[in-house]
Amino acid sequence: MFQDLPPEPPAVVAEAPAQSLQTLTPVTQARVAAALTEATVDIDTGFAGASMVLYGAVFNPTDTPADVVVVVRGPDQPVRLVRKVRVAGLWLNSRPVVFEGAPGFYMTASTRPLSDIASFSVLRRLGVGVDHLRINAPEQETTVTRFGVRDVVINRLGEDYLDWRRAVIRLKEDAALYATDPDGVRFVDQGLFRAEVELPTEAPTGTYEAEVWLFQEGEAISVSRMDLTVDKVGVERAIFDFAHQRSWLYGILAVVLAAFTGWAASAWFRRT
Amino acid sequence: MDIYLPIAEVSVNAPLLILLGAAVGFISGLFGIGGGFLMAPVLIFMGIPPSVAVASQASHVVASSTSGVITYTAKKGVDYRMGGIMALGGAVGAIGGVELFRMMRLLGQADLVVALSYLIFLGAIGGLMLKESLEAIIRRKKGLPAPRPQNRRPLWLYGLPWRMKFPRSGLYISAIPPLGLGVFAGVLSAIMGVGGGFILVPAMLYVLRMKASVVVGTSLFQIIITTAITTVLQSGRNQTVDIVLSSLLLFGGVVGAQYGARMSGKFRAEELRAVLGLLVLLVGIQMGLELFVRPAEMFVLAPGVD
Repeated sequence: MFQDLPPEPPAVVAEAPAQSLQTLTPVTQARVAAALTEATVDIDTGFAGASMVLYGAVFNPTDTPADVVVVVRGPDQPVRLVRKVRVAGLWLNSRPVVFEGAPGFYMTASTRPLSDIASFSVLRRLGVGVDHLRINAPEQETTVTRFGVRDVVINRLGEDYLDWRRAVIRLKEDAALYATDPDGVRFVDQGLFRAEVELPTEAPTGTYEAEVWLFQEGEAISVSRMDLTVDKVGVERAIFDFAHQRSWLYGILAVVLAAFTGWAASAWFRRT
Repeated sequence: MDIYLPIAEVSVNAPLLILLGAAVGFISGLFGIGGGFLMAPVLIFMGIPPSVAVASQASHVVASSTSGVITYTAKKGVDYRMGGIMALGGAVGAIGGVELFRMMRLLGQADLVVALSYLIFLGAIGGLMLKESLEAIIRRKKGLPAPRPQNRRPLWLYGLPWRMKFPRSGLYISAIPPLGLGVFAGVLSAIMGVGGGFILVPAMLYVLRMKASVVVGTSLFQIIITTAITTVLQSGRNQTVDIVLSSLLLFGGVVGAQYGARMSGKFRAEELRAVLGLLVLLVGIQMGLELFVRPAEMFVLAPGVD
């Protein structure tokens, strides 16, 4: 089962390379370092998506070729999904299912297709790649005792569960919020690489995490992490805060503005 | 020129929105309707989340209706007493409607409710209007005399308590039917993001049989109050009013509404009704079609995690 729910990765494994990089790595092992051209993305009135460059260097004293994988992950956003069902000739919505653990933005860029770089289980353990996101619908799961085995987790969505999960990813990909670019990492010079990160207009605000993994012979040997902040600024920020913090006053103001514009237009037209 | 909308969180073409506002405003002034039933589908098509589209266009309806009411007041075409009673009902309906819409959204059935409402109400009203006005046009073309107007209003209008005088409309009837009509328009206002003019105008003409000259102005007056309440409620309860979006729409809208109101005197009433009926029918069918056509994508992201 390709889309099966990935197991909970042991937290230590994901952290280890970063730590070992700074302290323990002997100089004989390959390393990666990277940075973003911008650490913050400002959403202002003219915002129409953002494009930034992630660049970095691979230090590889060995003879084994190394692969670079760039992962940018936005803040988690629960997803409510409905399925169209046919009832008495009409296409209606099913009951919504809430999926958790889906990032609001997720992209990978790599030197080769991910499946060529590392094995399925390695990618799944690290949570690298859109197929390995830990998206699930906890409300649909129940624990039961079956065949004398206690605490078996079953899913109410049953056989269709994978269809639902795939749909989450497909819909996000259609909105350009999820992307996989198997040759998005380009080496511009010996050991020097760059990758482009495209944020669509719909990208959520919040803190993004960018990871750059270095793979050799199917194993992750080094990682570099950095944060990226996407936030509304200026007028956009002010309006958004006003609408959420003083929502009733905001509504009244919207009405007064509308009524005034209507009155002003008719007064102006009467004179001309 | 693209502009980022802070609440809708999408980027849209500003001149296009102003044009859309102007076009809908023109139709609004011409026919004495809010025009919301036309705007919501277009905004959703442009990629604006439906909840934000419905809530933000309500304030556009306030602006173009205000502009229209002032023009009609000058022509003594507004019955403020009748409109006030309808608006009272509209307020009650809007409060109930916003809550109902929240509930349906949580059940994932908001799409169904919206599509069904459009199909049933717009389809029925549009069809009836088209039939009636085409018959009138054909009669005129053949040179037949207009049928004797059925001046007899339904008797129950007089049987109900709380009778009131409405001098402007030339009526002396119970306050309950206008109040009920207002409640109904208020519920639709919250669910469909419309003022309810397309229901009110025919009901005022054919059920209450008000004087035709005050129908449009009075309906616009009622629409102002109902949509103003809807805007405040949507903002306070759901934070879905995008003031940048509604400003863009209403700048075009008020200008369009002025021209529309001026043009309305230049056409025959039954021709106006035929065009409006056709427009209403088409939008109703278009919105309802999604219930019958096999969707290309079987899964849909449902908005509103709250």
